Amino acid sequence: MAREYGTDNWIDWCPGCGDFGIVSSVYRAFSELELNPEETVVVSGIGCSGKMPHFIDVSGVHTLHGRAIPFATGIKMANPGLEVVVNGGDGDLLGIGAGHFVALGRRNLDVLVMMHDNRVYGLTKGQASPTLPRDTKTKALNTPSIQDAIEPSALALTSGYTHVARSFAMDSDHLKEAIKDGIEHDGASFLNILQPCVTYNDIHTSEYFNEKIEKLEDWDPESVSPTEAMNKSKITEEIPLGLFYRDTDTPIFEERIAGQLQGYQEKPPAEQDIEEDGKTILDQQGFKSKFDENIIKKKK
Amino acid sequence: MMEKLNMILGGAQGSGLETTIQILSSAFASSGNGFLADREYYSNIKGRHSYAHARVSSVEIPRSIDSEIDLLGCMDAETLFTHFDDIVEEGYLIYDSSIGEKTQDSIKSIEDPLRERLEERFDEIGIEGTVSSLVEYLEEEKDLEVVELDYPSILEDIQKEFNISSSHASRYVSSILIGAVAGLMGLDEDEVNKGIKRKFEGKEKIADQNMFLVKKVSRMVEEEHGTPLELEGSGLDEEELLMVNGNEITGMGKVTAGMRFQSYYPITPAADESFFIEQHAGFEDEGNVLVFQTEDELAAITSCIGAALTGTRSATATSGPGFDLMVEGLGWAGINEVPIVVTYYQRGGPSTGQPTRGSQDDLMNALYSSHGNFPRIVLVSGDHEEAFYDAIRAFNLAEQFQTPVIHLMDKFLANFVKTIPVPDISEVEIDRGELFEGEDYRRFEDGPISDRAFLGSEVMWYTGSEHDVEGNVSEDPENRIKMHEKRMKKLRIADEEIDDRVIYFGPDEPENLIVGWGSVKGVVLDAIEEMEEDFGYLHFRCFSPFPTEEVSSYLENKENVIAVEHSYSPRVSEVVRLNTGVRIEKEVVKFTGRPIYRDELIDSLVNIIGGSDREVLKHGP
Repeated sequence: MAREYGTDNWIDWCPGCGDFGIVSSVYRAFSELELNPEETVVVSGIGCSGKMPHFIDVSGVHTLHGRAIPFATGIKMANPGLEVVVNGGDGDLLGIGAGHFVALGRRNLDVLVMMHDNRVYGLTKGQASPTLPRDTKTKALNTPSIQDAIEPSALALTSGYTHVARSFAMDSDHLKEAIKDGIEHDGASFLNILQPCVTYNDIHTSEYFNEKIEKLEDWDPESVSPTEAMNKSKITEEIPLGLFYRDTDTPIFEERIAGQLQGYQEKPPAEQDIEEDGKTILDQQGFKSKFDENIIKKKK
Repeated sequence: MMEKLNMILGGAQGSGLETTIQILSSAFASSGNGFLADREYYSNIKGRHSYAHARVSSVEIPRSIDSEIDLLGCMDAETLFTHFDDIVEEGYLIYDSSIGEKTQDSIKSIEDPLRERLEERFDEIGIEGTVSSLVEYLEEEKDLEVVELDYPSILEDIQKEFNISSSHASRYVSSILIGAVAGLMGLDEDEVNKGIKRKFEGKEKIADQNMFLVKKVSRMVEEEHGTPLELEGSGLDEEELLMVNGNEITGMGKVTAGMRFQSYYPITPAADESFFIEQHAGFEDEGNVLVFQTEDELAAITSCIGAALTGTRSATATSGPGFDLMVEGLGWAGINEVPIVVTYYQRGGPSTGQPTRGSQDDLMNALYSSHGNFPRIVLVSGDHEEAFYDAIRAFNLAEQFQTPVIHLMDKFLANFVKTIPVPDISEVEIDRGELFEGEDYRRFEDGPISDRAFLGSEVMWYTGSEHDVEGNVSEDPENRIKMHEKRMKKLRIADEEIDDRVIYFGPDEPENLIVGWGSVKGVVLDAIEEMEEDFGYLHFRCFSPFPTEEVSSYLENKENVIAVEHSYSPRVSEVVRLNTGVRIEKEVVKFTGRPIYRDELIDSLVNIIGGSDREVLKHGP
């Protein structure tokens, strides 16, 4: 295994957790893409998935519950040269952070969002997450969930993500390729990763997923509409796995900004000099010409 | 002739009043006058009463406004009904004589409490309540000089002159008011025209039509009334003046400071700052400011933090309700030692409160919001000049101490339009704090202030959890003590290093001391000049770290210590007591959301000297 992207930190997920499968696929994907650790940032939220950055030897930003996406957005907009990968849970991204999830799609910012989807809130002992189907009672719940599940791929597609895929934590080869694909795509990429929670979800186990998973065959993600992709991605008795949708025509956010802000791509915010020997870049004359509309000259 | 003039110009929101104010203020300034205007408006796009309350001076830049006005310029009847009692004896009134029969009953936008007050007032002075009955009363009883103009017939003239539709012509009421004011004040026609051209740049036809109308009205008024409101003298010494509101000058400060990322979610009265920066986003040679409208305030502060982690000077601007949503992010920036600037314009609360009215009620929110404890720097600005330099200082302090800085202002400052000298940029310094050079980087090593590296240059970890020097989660008790102390010690260093956290104005040993901050500065300074008794004013510029010793020494041996603030009970008194143990016994407060006027403050200080402990100011519609 490509351990060069691992850290010395002890990985404190429950033995058998699907997150082990995810992090090892991340190592393999980063290794095969030869990502520069200094120029790669893994951004996470809160929960079991939130710990990811501490186990990966690239820069890591472990943020607030639900806010991984806007943190990542600020990082990427200020320095588009960085490779930014978001890791979030199903509750993190589609519960407390759902507004940001939608907003990222609308922007088509060049970020990969990996959603760890085990259908429960693990770190707080197994409450129902937004992807737990209605009427399901896992062993941790007092009563069955009476809220319907969100279909994550459908939400991503209606929000404007231009790369939408599903994979499975315990299928390392498939997941590694899906992560690589997502990183290499220019634009907002959503990867829904199904995973077991061995401690709190006794229903959606590895065996459960293994039985239902069907890998896409004869499917061209570039020639379909979002609606067709949505129908294809639908979870029924079968759970389709693979890349449902890829759109390389919609301009990415960085291009949209550059269309309005001259010089953005050449000199994004993080690359600009803002002082010279402790003095401002804007000198007195520069100030006056920049704000000339507000300067009123006294009549002679 | 006079040296200064107080006026109110009013009309319905969306009816062109803003244009009137911009053009007149530009003409005042280019004629060499200082200008200060409060802008009052409802949370409404069109139809409700809005006004500018201004002071113009040929000898100084005004710092405050009076409740009493020399001139009332009305675009509509509601303006007259709302403000007539504030005109001084022998003052001036401009109104539309075609609406003489109008009564308050037909004006739906008048709120019920004002309606009742008007009914009482009209009974008291014995008038039937039409516009003409009120004008007649004012002429006879208050000896007003009334400028009567038939607005519709003036508009009809211009309609014919330029062959434009009547609906188009109706937009020119703002120019009738400009012409009338220009006439009474004897403003130089060229200066007014300059203002019009500036306002309608690229729209030559509209500019011409407005100039025509202004000239026509101004001559009409001058012929009948002369120029009784002409200001004396040749004006201020400055060759040029900056005409700005608080949002604009703060934006100028941020851009000058090298801010290159600003996130925001639309909110009154902060959004105009982001809009202004966006309009000035590009630089001539290279570089630009990225202004980012987010989906909510949670994203505004967190994207701002993200940008700051890349080494970009980053800020967000908001008001109370938005700040409330940001505080979790603020704590993350605190524990991760991220230099961000939050520009916070207070408005009336709680909840939606009074979204378009001013307040100083959020000092505690700025100082103590967010769970847990982390160092924060809270700067407060009292006027436009302070706002400019504080906006720059905020970034320097944020980066020197690697901690969030809150720049706290209010709606008054945000919207007050003022002429100020052009800031001297040559004196401005940029200090980016300790930056990392070398190998084997650990983000939180060698504290209290660690060397900073940016995402993209080294591998580093951040986490909202308590962490070790490398940024990895740690719950070890000794590590907790070490890291918590590391962060809090920065506040102690800041306490030693940050100068000018209070400024004192007044005689060496005053009997009476006023304590205040923010927008009360100008009005307090103007009021105490008029007082017979000895008054000093202690003006806060920074509340965190709190300048305990300095403040304590000023509070000693005073006959009266009086807090003046826009709040229900002065937050400054609470903060002073928390930090010094000294109780400020007296207070002058105003919480209507309207600014404190010089004359009402003087009256209240007289009462305080006479033994009153609490004065609640109420003036202003």
